[in-house]
Amino acid sequence: MADDLVLDTAIRNWVLVPLSVVMVLIGVLRYFVSKLIRSSQNPDTKAIKEGQAVIRARNLRSAAHLIPSKSFRSRRIYFTNEENGLLYVPKEEAQKAQAQMFQDPNMAMDMMKKNLSMIIPQTLTFAWVNFFFSGFVAAKIPFPLTPRFRSMLQNGIDLSTVDVSYVSSRSWYFLNLFGLRGFFSLILGEENATDDA
Amino acid sequence: MATQDKRSDTSDFPEIVNTDNLQSNMKPIYYSRTFLSIIGGVIAGIWGFTGFTGFVFYFVVMLAASFGLAAKAKFSADSYFDSWNRVLLDGILGGLMSFVLFWTFAYDIVHIF
Repeated sequence: MADDLVLDTAIRNWVLVPLSVVMVLIGVLRYFVSKLIRSSQNPDTKAIKEGQAVIRARNLRSAAHLIPSKSFRSRRIYFTNEENGLLYVPKEEAQKAQAQMFQDPNMAMDMMKKNLSMIIPQTLTFAWVNFFFSGFVAAKIPFPLTPRFRSMLQNGIDLSTVDVSYVSSRSWYFLNLFGLRGFFSLILGEENATDDA
Repeated sequence: MATQDKRSDTSDFPEIVNTDNLQSNMKPIYYSRTFLSIIGGVIAGIWGFTGFTGFVFYFVVMLAASFGLAAKAKFSADSYFDSWNRVLLDGILGGLMSFVLFWTFAYDIVHIF
């Protein structure tokens, strides 16, 4: 009895496909919006200098076995010398620099924008799904799960004898949320902000 | 897959890894696995695999992908990657979610509705 529910074609046309299409479009929109509102960071000369010095030190470290040990030592002293070494930072200055990094308004704004741009569309879409698409069976997942998942997957459906494979649209939303990450990495190229890790 | 050789020429010193090339070599692996898991999901749904069979099909597809990638890397992982694990195992779990999504979608469209 619980097997082989016949589901209306209208569910497929008006629930599954629109939900997936909406999620894809929102992901694309979020990608472009995050590109547009990313504030153009004026590069800080001091920070770039330090970054390049670190890169140089890293190259020295990784290629250390290819140069004579005397030249390696002299290069190392150049970097870590206490008076004028490139990488040497006295202790007080290091703490000051770190505190300043956290108060730097640009970095805080960027982090906040990135977090918001990820949380708000997800919340809105979830609320939309709950409002419009609750209370009926939306899809059947092709693999069986234990009955303990019933409350998670079937939360709009109030019958307890329906097979756990028949899920509500909320679980279709979550399935899309996780499954479309790979799809986005294919169509949007590399750095897309859809990773909610 | 435009891979670039990244090993230094001496053979008994610890090797230098050119991280730019390594990362650009990782990209085809990731893209091809994602693409194959999506296509595999659609195929599994259309054919009507259910339950365990579907997951077995997914791992078969991933094995075929690993074999193809290893063949492209001329069966010597050392000249293009830093370990065999990257060629064989990386990205399998990430593709699983995409596989399940497209498998569910295709299965529902073809068999239920």
